[in-house]
Amino acid sequence: MSEPAKMSRRDELETLLPFYLTGTLEGEDLAAVEEWLASDPAAADALAEAEAEFSGVSAANEAVRPPADALARFNRMLDAEAGPERRASPSTLARLWQGFLGVPSSVAWGAAAAAIALLMVQAVLQPIGSVGDFEIAGTEEAADMPFVFVTFKPEATIADVSAFLAENGATVLAGPAAGGVFKIGIGAVTAADYDRIVGLIAAQPFAETVVPGRKPADGG
Amino acid sequence: MSAAPSQQSDLELVGRVAKGDRTAVRLLFMRHHARIYRFVARQTGSESMADDIANEVFLELWKQAPGFEGRSQVSTWLLGIARFKALSHLRKRKEEWIDDADAAAVPDTADTPEVAVMKDNKAGALRGMVDALPEEQRSVIDLAYYHAKSVTEIAEILTIPVATVKTRMFYARKKLGEALQAAGFERGWP
Repeated sequence: MSEPAKMSRRDELETLLPFYLTGTLEGEDLAAVEEWLASDPAAADALAEAEAEFSGVSAANEAVRPPADALARFNRMLDAEAGPERRASPSTLARLWQGFLGVPSSVAWGAAAAAIALLMVQAVLQPIGSVGDFEIAGTEEAADMPFVFVTFKPEATIADVSAFLAENGATVLAGPAAGGVFKIGIGAVTAADYDRIVGLIAAQPFAETVVPGRKPADGG
Repeated sequence: MSAAPSQQSDLELVGRVAKGDRTAVRLLFMRHHARIYRFVARQTGSESMADDIANEVFLELWKQAPGFEGRSQVSTWLLGIARFKALSHLRKRKEEWIDDADAAAVPDTADTPEVAVMKDNKAGALRGMVDALPEEQRSVIDLAYYHAKSVTEIAEILTIPVATVKTRMFYARKKLGEALQAAGFERGWP
């Protein structure tokens, strides 16, 4: 994999110029670019190139024209949705887990399922690597772990998801993010294993959407 | 007295959406739809897909607003939803996923017919060259220049490490520089 560490200092500064131009640079990076612009006459040429790119990118984007009736059609779709009394639903599993936490386990869940579910909650709510006995990838391991993005169907149960992940060497790395997306680590060493497990996830009745992420780098 | 709707921040509008205010979600639609649509259209290469996905993004906003905690900008949140939905749609269409390892294997597009035609116009040439970048590099370029997102925000939207954002930006700008040179424009970097 290519790493920015291989860049020269000049390359690094050039790479930051687009962000300088749009005002999204701050801290040390901003200071470094400002110092470069103040001290190196060639920096002004580099900034001019970034400005030309800015114009080209803006033109390319503005050339894409949204349909004129987009708002009218969206209004019709919105009108078909539930009203203000709708339940707040940050994400399917988050809601399920939050509901689980509010219900005595003796009433709602069997002891085994509850234990797994609680550990899953901890895995999601706490930083990776801080979960006690639950087998979850450590921070270092998780950084390179193959992963897949998954959203779950409303009818998904924690017990089913937990059991499946445990059986297949998978673990929750992060989530839920926007749209109820979970990042699931896949304990596969080969691309073939990865494809097999991702295929299994996609075939589960609880999986709504599965989008492959990083595969093992075995070339297989 | 509360601010006029047009002066309300995105975050305030999402707060109103969370309470079931349909006007607020329409205001957010008007503010952000065009950019979301363009982002998806350029990712997928399909305007009809962009149309569907952009609407889905704002319906998702309607549903998810109560859970939005304001840890990122609303526009960043929406772009993140759009990105995921676009990838999901592409997956359904059996499009091939391009991983980070492919980012460096950039096809040479410097001598495409569009570029040849636009040789006398650097801005126009750049526009064609940006369009010809691999999707994963073009997304970073678009998000930085057109959507004015920071390195961290782009990492959040694309769910990639910050270092990868910088790597993709480096290769994208390197590619643009090479393409400009090949098209006869002077460019000092890299």
